[in-house]
Amino acid sequence: MGNSKHLGLYLLAPAGIFVILFFLAPVILTGIFGFTNMSTATGITGGSYMVSESSMRPLRSHFGEEALADQLMQRVYTIDEAGLQAAAEAGGDAAAIRELEARFLGQSFDRRRDVEVAIKSLNARPSSTRAIKLISAEFERSVVNTRFDTPEEMLAAIAGFGIVLNNAQTEALVDVAYTGWTFTTQNFKTMLELPDTKKTLINTLFYVFATLILFNTGFALVLSISTHYMPSRPAGFFRSIWLLPRVTPPVLYVLMWKWLAWDTGFLSVILEPLGFAPRNWMLDTPANAWTFIILINGIVGASMGMLIFSSAIKAIPPALFHASEVDGATRRQQIWHIILPQLRWPILFITIYQTLSLLTSFEYILLATDGGPGGATEVWALSTYLKALSNYGGALQYGYGAALSLVLVVIGISVSLIYLKLFDFKNLTAPPKIE
Amino acid sequence: MRILLDKFTKNFGDLTVIDEMDLEVHDGEMVALLGGSGCGKSTTLFAICGIHKVNGGRILFGDRDVTNITSQERNVGVVFQSFALYPHMDVAHNIGFPLKLRKETSTEIQRKVDEIAEMVHIGPLLKRRPGELSGGQQQRVALARALIRRPDVLLLDEPLANLDATLRLEMRSEIRRIQRETGITAVLVTHDQVEAMSMCDRIAIMDAGKILQITEPSDMYNNPVSDYVAGFLGSPPISFLTGIIQNGSFIEPATGAKIPVRKAIAGSHAGREVRVGIRPEYYQPDKGVMIKGTVSMIEAQGRETLYVVTLPDGNILRSIQGSHSPVKIGDAVNWGIDAEHMLVFDKDGLLI
Ligand SMILES: Nc1ncnc2c1ncn2[C@@H]1O[C@H](COP(=O)(O)OP(=O)(O)O)[C@@H](O)[C@H]1O
Ligand SMILES: [Mg+2]
Repeated sequence: MGNSKHLGLYLLAPAGIFVILFFLAPVILTGIFGFTNMSTATGITGGSYMVSESSMRPLRSHFGEEALADQLMQRVYTIDEAGLQAAAEAGGDAAAIRELEARFLGQSFDRRRDVEVAIKSLNARPSSTRAIKLISAEFERSVVNTRFDTPEEMLAAIAGFGIVLNNAQTEALVDVAYTGWTFTTQNFKTMLELPDTKKTLINTLFYVFATLILFNTGFALVLSISTHYMPSRPAGFFRSIWLLPRVTPPVLYVLMWKWLAWDTGFLSVILEPLGFAPRNWMLDTPANAWTFIILINGIVGASMGMLIFSSAIKAIPPALFHASEVDGATRRQQIWHIILPQLRWPILFITIYQTLSLLTSFEYILLATDGGPGGATEVWALSTYLKALSNYGGALQYGYGAALSLVLVVIGISVSLIYLKLFDFKNLTAPPKIE
Repeated sequence: MRILLDKFTKNFGDLTVIDEMDLEVHDGEMVALLGGSGCGKSTTLFAICGIHKVNGGRILFGDRDVTNITSQERNVGVVFQSFALYPHMDVAHNIGFPLKLRKETSTEIQRKVDEIAEMVHIGPLLKRRPGELSGGQQQRVALARALIRRPDVLLLDEPLANLDATLRLEMRSEIRRIQRETGITAVLVTHDQVEAMSMCDRIAIMDAGKILQITEPSDMYNNPVSDYVAGFLGSPPISFLTGIIQNGSFIEPATGAKIPVRKAIAGSHAGREVRVGIRPEYYQPDKGVMIKGTVSMIEAQGRETLYVVTLPDGNILRSIQGSHSPVKIGDAVNWGIDAEHMLVFDKDGLLI
């Protein structure tokens, strides 16, 4: 008997594991990644240390070490054994190389021209400039673009060039030279700075609320209320029709819309005789793109609200309708004073649920316009997907993408809280004082 | 305002629930529609208030034909069996709802609500939601809402069915008081004969969509048109015996007891089989035509006691007695039938 207490826990364990693996873990990882600069460049494992054009940029701008950066980026030209051998292998003139070794071994030059002047001064100087350049190239020495596994190796190499660093400089250099990912709040600063962010945010809010108000709640209410006043057979028929888009595979569904809108599609064909030039009606203008996006999402999205609202209306005792009729309520007054107040809870539920799903779902936009024309229909979730997981250049910004997702989560939660406040949730769920 | 149903007919699909019913409720009168469950009482009520469209006949309020007028325009007040209060409105808004729909000003509505709340005694409850009220309080609110428009007629569908026994008693007299005070024409639907008898001026007793008899309660009790009506009224119920009329008397077949009947009956039904009904108060220990039987059940009903007496052939008679007699179950008794008050019905169940 004592074990039966824990039986429930054992039974729930698989569900618990799934929740942790597929829900909690991604959420937590997204939260963590949002505060990193992970990208294809940094990789998701550790990195190495390297002085490069890009790592010097923060050294100059952030640490103000202009001189040091110049120094590190500087190349020196040293006539050494390794260089001589490399020059020979590269096909440099053998006599010239031998003379160079004899006369200049161990000498350093700051500029390549100086090396070339030295080569030209040789008795066995090569005849062409190309041959001279071929040899001179092999003596270039610098830390630039060399990968070091540890900071110590990099610092040793730098010391080898006679560059002396103080403690602050060492720290700054190790910091900027690291090529792996690091924790940073830079993503959020970037987000605030980029003008795209504001546009995407406005797009998202417009998309979510227009679809929600026009279709997912509004049209769903219209459907469920109008079918409520119909005889049951036609009512059932209408409701089934509006369920069809929901059960159509999204790719096919969007494809049908594309056929409708293509420049050789249905719309173009029927509008051409009326004097409208054939065009891709969906991507023609931002307004058109939005119209299609909202229709595509709304017609699928209205069905869920319709089902929920219809069953909620069915659950209203018929006596309330009878009572309101004899009290003198017209149909419109009945809708306003009886049906809608009774639907407060389902409307709240659908509004929150659909807001969250519209905020996060972008598959129809991706399939229909892919954010176009010119980013006009790029919403937050789509932008996140493009930044983090799908980019033509192949440079994926995981950290930035995660940060964007994180903001989406915050937006979702805030909007839900606002709804609960608006709908007076506390009063909705307050237990009655007498049963 | 009087209500007149003239050959009112109602069917649901193929099922004819009410067939050519005639009914007149006089101005200011309260009439009960009494009958068993499913006999069409609510259907009739819903037709009067316009929720159901009629399939035949006419409905008149006063002289106005309202047959094809929507319920919104009929000016009827209805108290539903479930009270049908709007759960999202407080009591004041529930009561004021019909006025609000007519766009009366809020001060006007408030004045009328206060007035009617006073009359049905729910003044202190105006700010509560229906979910915070007891059954009796909900009943009063439903009444107030039905009455606030000063409707031409008040319809009540089993208004007491959802209340417990003590509340039922209290609301019985309350509804009657309010109906009298307002002088409104009212129709009360009920399956409870006690309710019908105690509350209404007249009772229309229904069976299978037909009105069998419509008259005052005491008249219906004493002169029921049929054995069905006689059986429906009275608690504890009337007992029936079947036998032959011979030599001016009804011959009880099991005991051979001879119960004299009226001359007219004796003449017209001599030698024929009839059914007689004897109410419990007319089968008593010490008077009338004695008939022997065995006490098979005793039921104490507080002030009175009910005895069930089984005759030798298994038929039963009921006797209700005020004074407690020392009789026990199994005792043989020889009690008397008051021939004067015996009801005689013919083979078709009609009163002779
Ligand atoms: N909306 C309806 N559709 C079909 N049949 C109905 C409907 N309403 C009532 N009935 C039938 O009509 C008959 C009378 O019902 P009703 O008037 O409610 O009886 P009651 O006397 O118990 O109030 C019943 O047989 C019932 O099944
Ligand atoms: Mg009924």
